[in-house]
Amino acid sequence: MKKDMLDLCAWVIEQARKSGANGSRVRVSRNRLVEIGYRERKPETIKEATSQSLALQLFVDGRFSWQSTADLRKSALAEFICSAVATTRLIAKDEHRSLPDPKYYQGRAAIDLKMRDTEYESWTPEKRHQVAKALESASLEAGGQAVISVEASSHDTYSEQAFMASNGCEGYQETTVYVLVAEMTARDEGDRRPAGYDYAVSRYVKSLPDAEAVGRRAAQRTLAMRGGRKIKTETLPVIVENRDVPRLLNGLINAMSGPNVQQKRSFLADKKGQKIASDILTIQDDPHIVAGLGSALYDNEGMATRPRTFIEQGVLRDFYIDWYYSRKLGCEPTIGSPTNLIIPAGTRSVEDIMKELGRGILVNEFIGGNSNSTTGDFSIGIGGFLFENGQRTQTIAEMNIADNHLKFWSKLVEAANDPWPHQPWRTPSLVFRDVVVSGL
Amino acid sequence: MRRISRRSFVQAGAMTAGALGSVSLAPGTWLAFAGPASEKGYFETQFGITDSVCRRLLEAALSKGGDFADLYFEHTISNYLGLEDGEVNRASTDVDLGVGIRTVRGDQVGYAFTQDLTEKSMLAAASVAATIADSAAGSCAPQFVKVQTGNYYPVKTLFAAVPVSTKLPVVQSVNDKIFSKSKLVTKVSCTFHDQQKRILVVTSDGHKGEDLLPRSFLYATAVGEKDGRKETAGWNLGGRRDFSYYTEDLVDRLVSEVISRLLQAFEAVQAPAGEMPVVLAPGVTGILLHEAIGHGMEADFNRKKVSTYSTMIGKKVAEPFVTIIDDGTNEKQVGSINIDDEGVPSQRTVLVDQGILATYLHDRISAKHYKVKPTGNGRRESYRYYPLPRMRNTYMLNGPATPDEVIRKAGNGIYVEDVANGQVKIGEGDFAFYVSRGRMIENGRLTAPIKDMNIMGNGPKMLLNVTMVANDLKMSEGGAGACGKYGQAVPVSFGLPTILVNSMTVGGVRRQGAQS
Repeated sequence: MKKDMLDLCAWVIEQARKSGANGSRVRVSRNRLVEIGYRERKPETIKEATSQSLALQLFVDGRFSWQSTADLRKSALAEFICSAVATTRLIAKDEHRSLPDPKYYQGRAAIDLKMRDTEYESWTPEKRHQVAKALESASLEAGGQAVISVEASSHDTYSEQAFMASNGCEGYQETTVYVLVAEMTARDEGDRRPAGYDYAVSRYVKSLPDAEAVGRRAAQRTLAMRGGRKIKTETLPVIVENRDVPRLLNGLINAMSGPNVQQKRSFLADKKGQKIASDILTIQDDPHIVAGLGSALYDNEGMATRPRTFIEQGVLRDFYIDWYYSRKLGCEPTIGSPTNLIIPAGTRSVEDIMKELGRGILVNEFIGGNSNSTTGDFSIGIGGFLFENGQRTQTIAEMNIADNHLKFWSKLVEAANDPWPHQPWRTPSLVFRDVVVSGL
Repeated sequence: MRRISRRSFVQAGAMTAGALGSVSLAPGTWLAFAGPASEKGYFETQFGITDSVCRRLLEAALSKGGDFADLYFEHTISNYLGLEDGEVNRASTDVDLGVGIRTVRGDQVGYAFTQDLTEKSMLAAASVAATIADSAAGSCAPQFVKVQTGNYYPVKTLFAAVPVSTKLPVVQSVNDKIFSKSKLVTKVSCTFHDQQKRILVVTSDGHKGEDLLPRSFLYATAVGEKDGRKETAGWNLGGRRDFSYYTEDLVDRLVSEVISRLLQAFEAVQAPAGEMPVVLAPGVTGILLHEAIGHGMEADFNRKKVSTYSTMIGKKVAEPFVTIIDDGTNEKQVGSINIDDEGVPSQRTVLVDQGILATYLHDRISAKHYKVKPTGNGRRESYRYYPLPRMRNTYMLNGPATPDEVIRKAGNGIYVEDVANGQVKIGEGDFAFYVSRGRMIENGRLTAPIKDMNIMGNGPKMLLNVTMVANDLKMSEGGAGACGKYGQAVPVSFGLPTILVNSMTVGGVRRQGAQS
């Protein structure tokens, strides 16, 4: 479909030009998704669809709008584009709006990112059912008498995306993603029914972990969460599990975004070049990881991507800035949002770190919470385990961490050796000293 | 990975039964009849979706058996206008169109959707949905009867008929008025969102319901600076309203809500940490109920026995002055619906009746499981998803106390004014919500402002801890509230009178030895 999709992009750009747009950028996507869910050893849900969409950004006499539609019939599109251009003329001019300088399109990395699984066609309905059944069975067996319910599912998506800008940029990408999920609810004291889950995400069938292992881990994680309760407020070392780090980190990354910096809604706006975290915190953005979940050779505006370091040993080096906010801020663009976010892993396992710390909290889930990007204040609920002498001694629930990002990240003392590969933010478990964990 | 976990969350802003076995399950018992649907509807006129097309699709969906099948056609147009740095300099439109086809067999669901409304493509989708079953073909009712519904959000003028040039001055005036009200303001952003969603639901057991759902809101954010300190405040007003709502008076009200919040933020002191009495002010604070009990009462979680409430129907869960409602019939509230997304008429459903846990929130699958009538809670984000039991507008009825009495009774604790977002763990019943604005309560009086703290509790425990309810119920007036479940967002609203919860965990930074 590559040629059809690029042809459609070119046709849309020409229609926009004829309607009076000075420039335009278009993205056409097609997705096929299949989901199979199992519960009580039978399929609970079977879902399948192919969908398409078109997103168009218009630059008309210094004015800007964006449009999207699922109706790709050419007659409907022609009218849609014409009316969109007319609407764009009604809003205010913005001198900072333009397509990127074409020099930023140049220098695309000569790497094959291998984002599409060549075995996608052989991922048959039978295999999907098989893997969902295997997930469910493994959870049920590992959960034993404690199981109230297990839900297990296989999801996969095949996507094609064509991209074109009227000032000389185009691209086409095919991607596949497979997701396995198992979730279990267990019996516990009183009316508490703790639920836990495990999952895996990959661009290739062959690199998915064993479904039974995912199912078993879902059960083990759930069983471990029984008996959760609040303990007394205490200042303790805290380890945040790898997969949960993004929820905490998000408050920091959000304050590094171009719109928040330019709109004065960022506590980091005047901190570029300054130390904002301990030496342990380095944040890299690597868009060129082969088969990475966030990989891309060009960004949403067509600009060539490259690896960058945003925080280096605690020093804020850069912000996430797209073309528009680079014009407004008068600086070079980087990229509007993270691709594959990397925090370099350390050398020790979480278990080894727990032994050394003696007494502390291992956080394996967050609940509620938010972060104020203007001030850096955050407050978030936690669940996990109290450990003593390196052993988990009590499941904790209904407890909270609150601090200011500028203070909190200076308490970071170590990154574990376990970067989590199943999400685009590949974070290892992180260890913080002297955190006030509030409860009773 | 919230998308794939059953944990549910809600954002207030744009940024974040019982009676088991008592009701017959015969088709038609839960719908009011209004005679044959004779006049042509929107989807027939615009896309040629006739009754005979629907019948062929439903027969294809039941070609391998199943209890019933349904079709959900949707055509949605959404518009956005944005102001930044003093001018309305961005606009956007999204058009969505498609049909979702579902085959249900017991609690099993086959689902497919397509955006191509040709019969060939829709039949292909129907045959995918059919694969959930594997028996002899089922049949479709010979006629579709129109579902009779209320009219909780009459639309005088479609948004499609309101030109950008009419909306633009409203957005611009928010900016100009905020700057004129306070010298501390350094940045203002303002957005206007409007949407009109048309749906048609057709079921194999012979019902047909069509609706037009408007949704809109005006959202403003201001950033201020004072003595080197920076603060932000935002607010939105809206609902299932047409453009006539956005008068100059409304703009003035939005502006004063934003300015008062911004000024209050500069006075805020560090929030306390630990267990203490919490008083909730009336309004958007009803998010407390959404998290602490609403999600746990969604019947899918209960028929699977994964909710902490799954064995509590008919039991006392709160004091007799506590009555909690989930209601789809409030005028112009953003969670209101005339029919749900399975074609069931909307209704007012009592979750807790004078302290007794009364009714779960049902879709058709759970209603059949529990042998009760559906409650009109089968909702979905769009044709891309099958429906699930979801809340609408969730609130508590007035109690006997006055707001002053409630604050006085609290003694020392905190007073919650605005809540930004929340989350719940269905099985444990543990929930949390984020307070963006509040005050200290000292010796029974409101004192210094506080902000940015998470509050945590456990649903059933919290309900037993509601010791006072005042007589000042207020519904949220926002249009941006959205609830997420299994990756689907649906608009919801909230309401609460002033209430006292004897103890919850407040997640501030200041340790409160004396009050914990």
